[in-house]
Amino acid sequence: MANYDVVMIGGGHNGLVCAAYLARAGRKVLVLERRERIGGAAVTEEVFPGFRFSVFSYVVSLLRPEIIRDLELPRHGLHILPLESTLTPLENGDYLAQWNDHDQNRRELARHSLRDAEAYDEFGLMLHQMARAVKPLLGMAPPDPTALSLRELFGLKRLAEHFQGLGTKRFNTLTKLLTMSSADFLDEWFETEALKATKSASGIIGTLLGPRSPGTAYVLLHHYMGELDGVFRAWGFAKGGNGSVSAAIAGAARAAGAEIRTSAEVSQVLIRGSRARGVVLAGGEEIRAKLVVSGADPRRTFLQLVGEKHLPGPFVDSIKRFRFRGASAKVNLALGELPDFTCLPGRGAHLRGAVSISPSIGYLERAYDEAKYGGTSSRPYMDIVIPSMLDPSMAPPGKHVMSIFVQYAPYHVNGGWTDARRDALGDAVVDTLSQYAPNLKKAVLHRQVITPADIERIVGLAEGNIFQGELSLQQMFFLRPVPAWAKYRTPLSGLYQCGAGTHPGGGVMGASGRNAAFQILGAA
Amino acid sequence: MKRTIVIGGGADAVVAAQLLARGGREVMTIEGASPASEEGWVPPQVVRELRLEGVKLDWPDPWLTVPLPAGGRLELWLDMARTVEAIRQVSPRDAERWPEFCDRLARLARFLGELYAAPPPDPLSARFALRARRLGKRGLADLLRILPMPVAELLDDWFENDALKGALGAAGVLHLLQGPRSGGTAFRLLHHHVGCPPGVFRPPRSNALELLRKLPRVELQQAEVLRVTVRNGAVAGVVLKDGRELDASTVVSGADPRRSLLDLIEPGWLDPELVRSLRHVRRRGVAARMRLELDRSPGFSALALAPSLDYLERAYDDAKHGRLSQQPYVEARCEGSRVEVLAQYAPYGKSCAGLADRVTALLGEHWGDAQPLHTELASPRELEEFEGWPQGQPHHAELSLDQALWMRPLPELAHYRTPIDGLWLCGPAMHPGAGIAGAAGLNCAHAILDR
Repeated sequence: MANYDVVMIGGGHNGLVCAAYLARAGRKVLVLERRERIGGAAVTEEVFPGFRFSVFSYVVSLLRPEIIRDLELPRHGLHILPLESTLTPLENGDYLAQWNDHDQNRRELARHSLRDAEAYDEFGLMLHQMARAVKPLLGMAPPDPTALSLRELFGLKRLAEHFQGLGTKRFNTLTKLLTMSSADFLDEWFETEALKATKSASGIIGTLLGPRSPGTAYVLLHHYMGELDGVFRAWGFAKGGNGSVSAAIAGAARAAGAEIRTSAEVSQVLIRGSRARGVVLAGGEEIRAKLVVSGADPRRTFLQLVGEKHLPGPFVDSIKRFRFRGASAKVNLALGELPDFTCLPGRGAHLRGAVSISPSIGYLERAYDEAKYGGTSSRPYMDIVIPSMLDPSMAPPGKHVMSIFVQYAPYHVNGGWTDARRDALGDAVVDTLSQYAPNLKKAVLHRQVITPADIERIVGLAEGNIFQGELSLQQMFFLRPVPAWAKYRTPLSGLYQCGAGTHPGGGVMGASGRNAAFQILGAA
Repeated sequence: MKRTIVIGGGADAVVAAQLLARGGREVMTIEGASPASEEGWVPPQVVRELRLEGVKLDWPDPWLTVPLPAGGRLELWLDMARTVEAIRQVSPRDAERWPEFCDRLARLARFLGELYAAPPPDPLSARFALRARRLGKRGLADLLRILPMPVAELLDDWFENDALKGALGAAGVLHLLQGPRSGGTAFRLLHHHVGCPPGVFRPPRSNALELLRKLPRVELQQAEVLRVTVRNGAVAGVVLKDGRELDASTVVSGADPRRSLLDLIEPGWLDPELVRSLRHVRRRGVAARMRLELDRSPGFSALALAPSLDYLERAYDDAKHGRLSQQPYVEARCEGSRVEVLAQYAPYGKSCAGLADRVTALLGEHWGDAQPLHTELASPRELEEFEGWPQGQPHHAELSLDQALWMRPLPELAHYRTPIDGLWLCGPAMHPGAGIAGAAGLNCAHAILDR
């Protein structure tokens, strides 16, 4: 007898979102999390005494507003503090800043290029239109273009009508965004190198590609789709770190009646009569359920927890070909004092925003070049925030925490990841940043370096890919993770998937979990 | 009706001129220097409609010879079974997979071939959707997955031998400022496969242009066009460099779109947004051409020097940062003792100093005792001058996914028509373009006659 309606593998944010929606619909849900804490890659941990970090993912933006509304996340403790600027220090000692304040931003851009200042608003409008064009797709289970059923054909027809409704011009821009490189795309708009590089950096995040490679323009758009209070491209920081996002979702799930167990590692999906009937925990405990939903990545779900022998051969081949290739690392610093940037000295408003080390497209490409052949970037791209500037509770009084997203640090590094390599990466990060903020080195009290191998080991994401699989065009929409299996179902009846390895994919977005829940509820 | 003037002497221009003449138009062709012979597939529609006889598509056999780093050669033959045996010597696993790989790519290439013989499809039309579904479940999934992929990933999915992957991967980047790890390059491998027998991944040589130029009926003027005159938004005629003025109500240009619309037309007739888009059409030449005369046959018919995908990628890295490749990709084709070589990457506008020696040295390792009697290298800049290829790019507009099919060279111009009434575009920058002889001319002529 099934004790539960649904057992959820993994307490990451997508699993929690999915569980919350299912519980609200009256299902009896149990969430099983391997670690001692929920959240997956969205966690807050006190890594060093008094210093709390969003250890892995570190900003909020992509989290779907409908999820925030439906699950009443603010009531469960979600509070988002906006990031108001992006500072790009330049190699010549100058800087480029982008501000949320329109006039301030325009004045700053005009300092570099009058033309770019003129083009900026139009560019923003265009991306806004594109984000609106793609937005309905995020909340949709992708229709299967290879299926023959009327229902799928109807879905495809509706999709075609949606695109036709955009009008020729917008549709053309969208197809260009899908097929171009972010560097080429930005070349059409701007001339300031640092502006192009900083914007194109959104196109390489989490992906082992350089900004000149086609396909990166879409990733740029993907990162633009974050909405906060109805504004696209708004990034924020969750009060209490990203763990509080997970805590809020978990709160909503519990309030709806879901049960959550931590330190409960699933070792396999229980299969009887070619149907998923529950799970077996690492300790041998069997938990029965009518449905099993996996928030783990496709590789772990199918090759490890289910097992090849229960799945059709071509499906297994496709899962094996699904590309992960984690490309990014995280460095968390506990600081005794704030960094003092030579280009913009003192404790200015810029420290309340993001700092991007992306002085030119060539810089990003050179960082990528090293990673292509199995090295790590000696001068990496970095996206930096100082959460303690927005939320003083993250660090002891007068001290600070700094969160550094680092790319490229490929999972498949020559000779594998070792302690020495991890330290070398940490040194490269601190050295590079010290060029722009010379006091940094002596300000560092503690340093935590997390490589893709660490992400895989700790969080369980295959190859440390932050999106549960590369967000490249050939792994998106109805191809994610496998053609014909993009609608959250799997070839094993009774098993669904809801992780970022399904459409629409990564970022602390929650859309995969929500879409999966609707598919499950619609099918039942 | 007034005269129709066709500018250019390439296959597309000749096909357009012929079809328009047969459609009852009074046609005059104006061409500058006579163009180089073009490589590539000739769609059967072109042969049929012009009743061309004796069209030969020619591949050397083996169609590619790949030197192995450990010594010896891998030879890829027109005969599938023979190729499988050759691959078995370097990798039994790859030999096992070769026939299925070839079969699956050939299906997709046939689909592209159908699209290439017609005007660019409307991706949102039911007709296109139905056509694509004829590929079947697996074929459609393959197509959607392969088009945007890096060619390196596609090859890594299937094969393990570096030399085989290098030689195939090169087909994904020919004349493109991208490396095999860049997205969209698998599409290029497919593009060059169109019209080839399964298992052959290099375009053929054809005598099509030669045959086309022998066709009678069209008046030919050897001259340079200085300007296309426009009155009231419509074509009125052309002005030649020698000062002559010719009346025309229709002008079909085989020149690249930027030249046709920005240089030949007086400014002011076009929407500034279109002008901006035109200036962003990418057409960066990346390959130098070299011709060698040896004292004897070199002992290969077609040779590709790309020992691995990483080798190609590193060659691209140089070009990406604006330098000549230190270790360029070299592809040589030989007839008797004459060798024609493509050396990539040689970015447009950068010096090619030392490249000829480098290429000769690289090739010299593979032609035994032969001695070069004469070598001649043309950089992209020189190719621009000699052949009229903008920035030395033979495809006029780079064939990347965002400049292909209904986006070639720009969505606004993809149907051969321009905003200037009576001015039409044909040539390699138009769909399908880029090494496919005459198809753009055919589609363009049809569009004009259907009007």
